[in-house]
Amino acid sequence: MLEGFGPLVRKDLRLELRSGESTVALVSLSLLILVVMVLAFGPGGARRAEVAAGALWVALIFAGTLGANQALLAERESGCIRGLLLSPLEPATIYAAKLAVAMIFMTEAGVAVLAVLVLFFNLEFGAALARLVPVFLLGALGLAALCTLLATVCGRVRAGAMLLPVLVVPLFTPALIAGCKASAALLAGQPIGAVTTWLKLLAAFDVLFVTAGYLLFEHVILED
Amino acid sequence: MKGPVSIALAAASCLSMLAALFMVFVYVPTEAEQGIVQRIFYFHLPCAWVAFLAFGIVAVAGALYLWLGHRIWDDLSYASAELGMLFCTLVLITGSIWAKPIWGTWWTWDSRLTTTFILWLLYGGYLLLRALADDTDEIARFAAVLGIVGVLDVPIVIISVRLWRTIHPAVLLTRQGEHGLEDPRMVATLLVALGAFTMVFVWLLWLRLATLRLRTRVAALRKDVALLDLAGAHR
Repeated sequence: MLEGFGPLVRKDLRLELRSGESTVALVSLSLLILVVMVLAFGPGGARRAEVAAGALWVALIFAGTLGANQALLAERESGCIRGLLLSPLEPATIYAAKLAVAMIFMTEAGVAVLAVLVLFFNLEFGAALARLVPVFLLGALGLAALCTLLATVCGRVRAGAMLLPVLVVPLFTPALIAGCKASAALLAGQPIGAVTTWLKLLAAFDVLFVTAGYLLFEHVILED
Repeated sequence: MKGPVSIALAAASCLSMLAALFMVFVYVPTEAEQGIVQRIFYFHLPCAWVAFLAFGIVAVAGALYLWLGHRIWDDLSYASAELGMLFCTLVLITGSIWAKPIWGTWWTWDSRLTTTFILWLLYGGYLLLRALADDTDEIARFAAVLGIVGVLDVPIVIISVRLWRTIHPAVLLTRQGEHGLEDPRMVATLLVALGAFTMVFVWLLWLRLATLRLRTRVAALRKDVALLDLAGAHR
């Protein structure tokens, strides 16, 4: 079913290893967003956990949409996408590969953001941060699933790059609410058991949109 | 747009809307606690129902377009999204007018308000896509996928926002399973208003669909004419 998945992922990763474009763009953008958040809300204060959680998710959303945009634009600019479509690969396999690559990039950006978050907000390295990992990964998967499906709009529409976040952010709100609430609770020192409802919601969101993306991708990737 | 269906829909819409107006302003008793402002509810809820119906049609017509490939489904989906947006805006406006005297504020981040607003944003994005994009099959397919994904998102938005916070009154079904409309005249008025708004929606949908079909035909004819011109110039 997923024949050709490995080579596709390797291709994108090799491109990235040689150019480093996406990593630089993703990491620097998320760092800048964190700086803006710290300047706007201040690093200390009673609501430190909530502001830090909010900063994390804002950075994730913008880095994610930018990254997905970038990944598909590169394919279109050099006509790669036509080659992919001509190959005997299933469109769903292309989706799975793009999703996997988007997840890798987002995790990369996430590690950078978390590290800087700890510095900026004077958080403790340790258990609270480790508990944040599943929340972050589940949220990133949902975002990557949506972005990978909808990023095909860029390049087809004038101002497509502007349009992508306009389409993705409202769709992402349930995961955003769950992610922010769960991260804020965990950063404030609560155990993982306190946020299981939010984790379940995130998992349901992921299952729904990964499946939808997998099934619907062939309709958005085909050209006239 | 002339034609028997259109005239019948127009007549049904006008009559049912007149009946609804009469019932809302004359027939139905004033609610004891909230007073006169409660009457806006008979417009508010039907608008919400029509908005949800319209967004359902967007997704179903989108799925049919992906499956069958005929442009009429895409046109239906587009027309329905526009009307859904209109009625969703009306829901937010009528809700605000009601909320100001009752809750003391135009807007609050209650769960149903937030859900409706997110829905409004979702379909705002959909219509923005339609406005910015050219009228091609690629875009039609993308819009269909977006409509389907949007409707899939609605239940999970409702759940997440409800977990987040809520103060909206449960008019139709409270937790005890009773509805909040005590007087049978209120129920009758609500039902008539629901029917009237649905009729208006169907009528407008019919008109909009007809213009979109015409637009598709004009585009095809224009293409033919251009090809003929080109052939003539060659000769």
